[in-house]
Amino acid sequence: MMHSKQLQTLIAALTLISLTGCERCNPDSCDPPCDAIATPYALEIPPFFPPMDIPEDNPLTVEGIELGRLLFWEKSLSADGTMSCGSCHLPSAGFADPNQYSTGITGAQGFRNAMAIVNIGWSTSFFWDGRTTSLEEQILEPVSHPDEMALPWDEAVTRLKNAPNAATQTDYPSRFAHAFGPGDITAERTTQAIAQFLRTLISADSKFDQWRRGEATLADDEFAGYEMFLREGGDPEVTPGGQFGGDCFHCHSEAGLQFSDYLFRNNGLDSVFFHDPGLAGVTGNGLDSGRFKTPTLRNVALSAPYMHDGRFQTLEEVIEHYNSGGVPSSTIDPFMKYNSGGLTLSAVQKGNLLAFLNTLTDTAFVSDPRFQDPH
Amino acid sequence: MEKHKNFFTIRLDILALAFLLLVGCRPQPNEQEIPGTIRLEFNLQWNGEDCAVGAVQTDHLGHPVRIDNLQMYIAPIEIRNERGEWFEINDVALLDFGIHGQKITTAANVDTYNAIRFGMGLPAEINTDIDPASYANDHPLSVPGSAGMFWTWSSGYVFVKYEGKFATESGAQLIEPLSYHCGTDESYRTVVFELEDAFAIESQELTAFTIDFNAAGALIGEQDAIDIVEDPVTHNAQGTVLGGRLMDLMDDAWNLTRQ
Repeated sequence: MMHSKQLQTLIAALTLISLTGCERCNPDSCDPPCDAIATPYALEIPPFFPPMDIPEDNPLTVEGIELGRLLFWEKSLSADGTMSCGSCHLPSAGFADPNQYSTGITGAQGFRNAMAIVNIGWSTSFFWDGRTTSLEEQILEPVSHPDEMALPWDEAVTRLKNAPNAATQTDYPSRFAHAFGPGDITAERTTQAIAQFLRTLISADSKFDQWRRGEATLADDEFAGYEMFLREGGDPEVTPGGQFGGDCFHCHSEAGLQFSDYLFRNNGLDSVFFHDPGLAGVTGNGLDSGRFKTPTLRNVALSAPYMHDGRFQTLEEVIEHYNSGGVPSSTIDPFMKYNSGGLTLSAVQKGNLLAFLNTLTDTAFVSDPRFQDPH
Repeated sequence: MEKHKNFFTIRLDILALAFLLLVGCRPQPNEQEIPGTIRLEFNLQWNGEDCAVGAVQTDHLGHPVRIDNLQMYIAPIEIRNERGEWFEINDVALLDFGIHGQKITTAANVDTYNAIRFGMGLPAEINTDIDPASYANDHPLSVPGSAGMFWTWSSGYVFVKYEGKFATESGAQLIEPLSYHCGTDESYRTVVFELEDAFAIESQELTAFTIDFNAAGALIGEQDAIDIVEDPVTHNAQGTVLGGRLMDLMDDAWNLTRQ
């Protein structure tokens, strides 16, 4: 017969289960899935950053992230085995392409500059025109695009299933099994693994971040540039509320320290948009003509050239463009200042802005060994 | 005997625990206290006619004008019962008039009410000095939730964003920018609907209202009028007079009807 103390212990244990276990005992609601064999990865969210929304069907795991890194740098995912994702997203260039247009395996070029993939786990849309709304979906495109890696996904999956081989030394069947458990290698799992890796590409240790955390001091010109960044543009006599500032913060918002609002704007580069309609090419709405995604400014000093078409080679050119006020059009963003003669920044003010932008460079991020080519 | 008594007591404990395990995970709702539902549907109008963001209208001075983006924080939404007590039914919402018929649906206690009010903008305690990153991403004040509606940590959120293009004369291309960004604690306004006919929230029943916002009313009202050619822009984080005038005009630009 059970002793009274044993029974009381049993009751206490059952009570604890009844109080805490009701919502957790359903295997269908376990996170990660109860049958997963991979090791959950605890993503560290930097100070002042918002939470990252990670898809429930693609939780981060140690094995998944490592597989994603291998795949990101895997050249056999291109038709002729010469290109990987990393070929156009170079760490030294802030995970962007230093060329105006990326060149695919056939020699064909795109018509937009490859976007920097930094802190992309916080982005809510992808590509300059926002044509995909999930990272996993975005990754599908470059592999099979005829002007990029030009490898049909069924062939890509076959190659991964047959590895290791002459083209790659990596035992992908084993890697996928460890990351995702039993089941075939699929395009979906491949994109999931790469997405897991990309969500770990977090830049949060620039000089500005260190200053924000109270660990560093900004030089006078850098701080003056930060203040310019946060000030409204324009002459208050012309623009009520104008502060003769740089007016950068509206679109490159400091909220969450992302330096982008991830919205789509026409920043006054052109007056017509026949060559590249931007967001309008996705929505079909003429009011979206010339609107492109606001890029983050993190590591912007490394990620030249600039704008969706890489037309500017230097940050000085970029600052001068905004200083000019831009080119009028029916969809130009209200934040542009063309109608009031531009921002009228002095040479010193422009220099201060540049100094501030340089504080967003995170050399520890771009040289982080966890993100480099493992092959 | 004493031992037997202890064992009996423990068995009662087990029975009670088993009962708890079977029925205690979730409280059983009391049928008498189930609230009703209230739904507010927001609708964009231009001088009494339904309109859509992106459509070209004509302002009170004959200028062609097109609203491209009209967003607004309202916080909180409250209803008043016949005993004069106000109850919050929604803490903060971001209205985007680019979304046709945006609805706010929430529970409300069973009672009879005779007024509805909401703050236009954000109360001071949630406007500044709160890091947007501290909110869950589905909150309207979070980083993604407030995209394009946040100035800085010190100046807070944009309460109302009223943007578009206009032309200085009829028939001309609409390329002149209209950009009204209103905010700051001083710009917070309260819109109150005093209802002649009280409404009852019935248990498990839906009570719905349509709230029309007259975008033309942001430019002209009984007390004031704004010439968009003379005053096309304000950044009210800097406390401009124009921002306050706009908020006063918009305060009177609402109409509520029972569905």
